[in-house]
Amino acid sequence: MRRVLLGMFLGAIVCGCLLLQRAKAQTSGEADVHMHHHAHEEHGMTMDASGMVMNENRDRLPAGCTAISQDVKIVVHAGRKYATRYPGAVFAFDQNSWDVPPCSRVTVTLVNEDHVRHQWMIHGLPRYLYPGGMFHIEVSGPGEKSGTFIVPAEKKTYLVHCDVPHHMEKGMKAQLTVLGGDLNLPGIPGLTAPARPDRYALRWDTRSIALGGVGALLGFALAWATLRR
Amino acid sequence: MLPLRAEGYKLRRGKQALFWFALVGVVFLGVPDPWMPRAILKYRQRLLGELKYQAPPVSRGVTLGTVEEFCPNEHPEWREAQVIEGVEIERSPVCEPDNPYLVAAVVKGTNNVSHDTLMRAGLAPDAVVLGRDLDGDGDPDEVEIHLEVVELNGASPDTAEPVPGFAIGPGIRPAFWVFAPKGFGMATRSLEDLRANPLYRVPSPTIRVEQGDEVTIVLENTHYLPHSIHFHGVDHPYHPPFHPPLDLKGSLPGGDGVPETSEMVPMPGQKHIYRLRPRHAGTMLYHCHVQPQAHLLMGLQGLFVVEEQRPNNWVQTLNVGAGHVRHRSVAVRERYDREYDLHYMDLDKELHEFVQRANDPRLIAKAIDHTYDVTERTADYFLVNGRMFPYSLRDSLVVVKPNEKVKLRVANGGMQKLALHPHGHKVTITAYDGVDVNPVAWITRDVVDVDTAQRVDLVLDTTNDGLHSYGEGVWLLHDHHENAVTTDGVFPGGGITAIVYESYLDENGVPKVSGIDWKPFFSPEYYRKKIPSLATYGDDTRIFREPAEATPRGSRVFIWGLAAGLGMGAVVALFLGRRRR
Repeated sequence: MRRVLLGMFLGAIVCGCLLLQRAKAQTSGEADVHMHHHAHEEHGMTMDASGMVMNENRDRLPAGCTAISQDVKIVVHAGRKYATRYPGAVFAFDQNSWDVPPCSRVTVTLVNEDHVRHQWMIHGLPRYLYPGGMFHIEVSGPGEKSGTFIVPAEKKTYLVHCDVPHHMEKGMKAQLTVLGGDLNLPGIPGLTAPARPDRYALRWDTRSIALGGVGALLGFALAWATLRR
Repeated sequence: MLPLRAEGYKLRRGKQALFWFALVGVVFLGVPDPWMPRAILKYRQRLLGELKYQAPPVSRGVTLGTVEEFCPNEHPEWREAQVIEGVEIERSPVCEPDNPYLVAAVVKGTNNVSHDTLMRAGLAPDAVVLGRDLDGDGDPDEVEIHLEVVELNGASPDTAEPVPGFAIGPGIRPAFWVFAPKGFGMATRSLEDLRANPLYRVPSPTIRVEQGDEVTIVLENTHYLPHSIHFHGVDHPYHPPFHPPLDLKGSLPGGDGVPETSEMVPMPGQKHIYRLRPRHAGTMLYHCHVQPQAHLLMGLQGLFVVEEQRPNNWVQTLNVGAGHVRHRSVAVRERYDREYDLHYMDLDKELHEFVQRANDPRLIAKAIDHTYDVTERTADYFLVNGRMFPYSLRDSLVVVKPNEKVKLRVANGGMQKLALHPHGHKVTITAYDGVDVNPVAWITRDVVDVDTAQRVDLVLDTTNDGLHSYGEGVWLLHDHHENAVTTDGVFPGGGITAIVYESYLDENGVPKVSGIDWKPFFSPEYYRKKIPSLATYGDDTRIFREPAEATPRGSRVFIWGLAAGLGMGAVVALFLGRRRR
């Protein structure tokens, strides 16, 4: 069941991407300008040499929320050392799944333990409050930064990643859910399988050979017993 | 019983005779023409009616598929000459000019410009930090540049599309590793649009500093493999002389970028600080020196230009994508009307495909170290400033006017020699590998050879005197190795660009050409070898299209079938017959 859902989700993403890209091809110039405009018009943007917080929101409620239900504090550590738990990963967060109550106010502190940029970037938030549907903390090097946003009321899964080129692909992928979320995202280290897994060389040990042999014998016996006249 | 047997025997013999007769017939009719004795062939052709005219198949139709516009025209407002943050930015009338806000930010320093300019430039506040004026001559002499390492067109565990996407030609996206200025925000344009953030492109940016500057380059290794910077031809110390208050945290020994000699190179997530004070001006290079047989060719290389010392000399610290220098140094402005950086590369697509086949860095490292063999390399793609024809014409045209002197800094980052040929002009070589040639010994020629990692400084003189220039036009500028003007063997492609006089350029930077239609070149199908190359030549192009498939002649097909049937029947009859007995 989960596999089917996952497949449907991926299909939807691919279709969505294709459609959006087609639309984007016609309006990309405009969209670019918009991105810049938002950055200045929104007051939720702070930036200095140590990093940035984008689209911060402490008080504006998403539609469907009448009050802030709860204050949630999340401290996330980011760095290469957290990737050692996952073979094949290079960068990682110390945690990669959070569940928060609907309409809660989430304050994220990103602690960067590397000497390069890392981000805690969440997608899929309502665009009328968060330009591009994003809230984003970026820490330029060793150090930390905090930012706050408010989640909507509905049951939903949000993608969280570091979008420094190839950091998500190499392990910095996570999810934040409200009410347990509506799905699990693929490729979250320690949590879900990637949508397009790598292929590794196979090692044929005695156990695998024995299991295969037993299967073959069983199959032969079954065919013999049913087809023999 | 005996007579019956004899009858059966006769019957069998009769059948056998029929078989042999059929076999001879089939041989007569079915043997291919070249094996047939000429005398018999004539009779057979007459018998089968093969001597009469039969129309060959008609020409197949041509479908161009999705054809892109020459100019997507995303930022027409960037073309004009403008002053941003007090920085004068030259006009750049090409289709895709460099972002003037980025030019302003790297001339003035990302620490000295407004938040607004920084946002428009897409740079981090510490991308280019300009400090004190140490000699009091009106320009900053402390330069600190933060570079990151970016993979373009890499494998993704989420989508089959390479990310972040950077097309070097229509539908062509090999994987690259490049040095990139420190930026912020997303790697792609958005979550849906997987094209790379405009800051991330091939080639690695040209670094420009002034002679005698105190240069600090911080390599922040954002990539998943170790990397370094080797300053090729640039005056630099073997070990950097660190002075307080420079932050030493996280930095390791070495100033030459070579892990086998001086340097412990930065691993993923680490940084390395290089300090240099170049005493000699000229056109140099910088590149990664970790496993150069792969890393250099993957794109970790760029021009490093040391400009001559002058008062009030604010140089364009980075030239993203190389190409037009929109804010020239004082010395170049003294002697020239325009300046272009031209970075040439050649790629073996096999190496770049290896990086796209897996996401696990261990599999990628194994593939490039041991599966890929650089000694068996053949180049497939040829780039000028990171792109191939026709994309190269969008941003890397050499735009000129008559009676100008234009400075070209040419570097060859490929493994194949470059034989650069300007149509309609002869250029003069003024420097080799960043060392000026005595003007008495200057050589003017129309094919300039530049070997791997070499640089030449050229003067392009557009005076129409029959030697330096033959007048205005759209004059191609290309490597004269004929493989280098193709894209994986398909012409026109590779690192072709053009010297275009402004009178031959329309308002969107499209060269006004009067030759054949360029539409096919903007279709990915063309470079997939689906469109006949001569399809747009002349008025009647049917003769150049591919012929449709021919239907085989009915008589021949029947005979082939008959032969096959006879053969199989004979085998089965012999085999079963023997078993019965």
